[in-house]
Amino acid sequence: MTEMPFTPGSRESDAAFTAAAARFFELLKTFSAQPATQHGQLPDWGSFGSVLAGQFEQWLRSAPAAGASFAAAAGFPGATVGWPPGAVPLGPAAAQAADAQSAWELLMKLGSLQGELARHWSAIAQDSAQRFIARMQATGGADLSSERALALYETWVECAEEAYAAAVRRDDFCRLQAQLTNTAMALLLAQRRQADKLARAWGLPTREEANALQRQIRELKKALEERAAQPAPRAARRGKAVPRPKARPRPKATLRPEPKAAAAGRGRRTRARRGRR
Amino acid sequence: MSELGGDAARMFLDLGSRAAETLARLRLARDVRVGSTPRRAVWSDQKTTLYEYLPEAPAGAAGARGGSAGQAAARAKSRPLLVCFALVNRPYILDLQPDSSLIRRLVGAGFTVYLVDWGDPDDGDRLRDFNDYLEQGLGGCVRYILEAHGLEALDLLGVCQGGVFSLCYTALHPGQVANLVTLTTAVDFQTPEDLLSKWVRELDTELLEQAGNVPGELLNALFLSLMPFRLTQQKYVRLLTGRADQRAVEDFVRMERWIFDSPPQAAVALTQFVRWFYQENRLLRGTLELGGRAVDLKSVRAPLLNLYASADHIVPPAACEAMGRYVGSRDYTACAIDTGHIGMYVSRKAREEIPQRIISWLKARGGDPRPDR
Repeated sequence: MTEMPFTPGSRESDAAFTAAAARFFELLKTFSAQPATQHGQLPDWGSFGSVLAGQFEQWLRSAPAAGASFAAAAGFPGATVGWPPGAVPLGPAAAQAADAQSAWELLMKLGSLQGELARHWSAIAQDSAQRFIARMQATGGADLSSERALALYETWVECAEEAYAAAVRRDDFCRLQAQLTNTAMALLLAQRRQADKLARAWGLPTREEANALQRQIRELKKALEERAAQPAPRAARRGKAVPRPKARPRPKATLRPEPKAAAAGRGRRTRARRGRR
Repeated sequence: MSELGGDAARMFLDLGSRAAETLARLRLARDVRVGSTPRRAVWSDQKTTLYEYLPEAPAGAAGARGGSAGQAAARAKSRPLLVCFALVNRPYILDLQPDSSLIRRLVGAGFTVYLVDWGDPDDGDRLRDFNDYLEQGLGGCVRYILEAHGLEALDLLGVCQGGVFSLCYTALHPGQVANLVTLTTAVDFQTPEDLLSKWVRELDTELLEQAGNVPGELLNALFLSLMPFRLTQQKYVRLLTGRADQRAVEDFVRMERWIFDSPPQAAVALTQFVRWFYQENRLLRGTLELGGRAVDLKSVRAPLLNLYASADHIVPPAACEAMGRYVGSRDYTACAIDTGHIGMYVSRKAREEIPQRIISWLKARGGDPRPDR
């Protein structure tokens, strides 16, 4: 599984904690290392804001929002680490020229959209820093001392969330988010089409065929359920054997059947499994 | 560190030592257990399992947990309460640990509590649709319980997306639901505060359906990216600076496990949910059809308790408040709880106020759930 942004790769809390603590320390160091704060002078808000914005933008780029996440899930390493992404894994030689061209165009589009996303991250980072500095100035807060470090951190998070919330609600961001996801999905499907062509050439079942089989199974299950729901014919009620319907020809397939539970269709009582989970 | 002043250096040393301590506690808590109330699986269909929760036997009582034949008979006579959770998260959040378990409180109040666990759809389930989940999954559970208890109607508690299922089911089968409770359940999917709705409004649902099942990790990322700094940074820093003891760290890890433990979503069902609810707002507009039947919220006439969070960043309060204007229930109670989405399940409010409201509301509408006592 591709590592997802916002979820630590190991999904272990200690890894996420370590990463967050490291960023926290980095931020505190930025607060504490302001020369002005050490000499009781007014801080240089301009340069301080730009340091904060820079650190923040770096974090945003390494943890992009959901549109880019989908690109990551679709299996494109470039989606999370920046442009340019890797080549189409199957390679142009494995596919017909038109498919390769289409996949390439989608890759180019994805890259361009990611560029747009990066511009949003940059704007959010700048806005966060400006909000933070405005709040510090409004509260007469030239004090970036270590005693106030935790309060500063909380203020910083508030400013960052406010700037983020304002940006990601705008129509242009929402549209971009959808375009990123749609393009990543289109790219995934283009790759699948290429894989299907290879599968067909090698005599393996394709995804389309698997889908067709699943639809048939669903229809058969539905027909069975409808039949089961119908009242029993007279002969059956009198206890006589009812001729079994002719079996439908089995679809030719090399796919594995669905698990028994799924094939059974209707629910079943389970043997009680007592005890704690 | 050399450029920092003395007090800053001391602060870093102190925080560094706290970080090491917290990290050690987190590692100790890795194998912490979730789920506290004994239960047994009583019915299943495909990946869906219906669990019945069992009351704790009194200390020193003979027999297996879950009680004697007499207790089983009493349970059969009591009014059942079916809890329907969302597809997008695991239901164990409702029974996370003994002192934070809505289920345990409900069982303790004498209800016979059942829970629908939707399980993990695999690639073979990608064509499973919304109506399959509703009629085969939830409907199958309802029919089993009604038969087991010899009743015509049960009480239904729908949570989040499970509340949407519950509303649809009640609208389509009004005779089978005696009382309906919804927790953080949206009816209007296009309120101005709804960021999730804004983000998916222009999603190409044809592509989404073709792309196949959506991994749970992707949905996690989506939910966390609604408030990324609070949800992926600040909470860990607060753990570090809050001087959490081992028990607090274990509670934290239980929540973490739940947050990052989302099941995959069946492609067709998720696509329909996005298209019909978020993009087209069909439930509110009265244009939703399932299995060829119109879902009319006016057909929901059962007494209805609508609990929602006033600071919910996933299901905004306005999305839930709309319910009162569209359902047909004359006995309708809405109540905003002063907490966030997750707080509805695990906060102090969740431990005290929410169970108490549900229990007293249900008891007022059905008498004592323990008729033999």
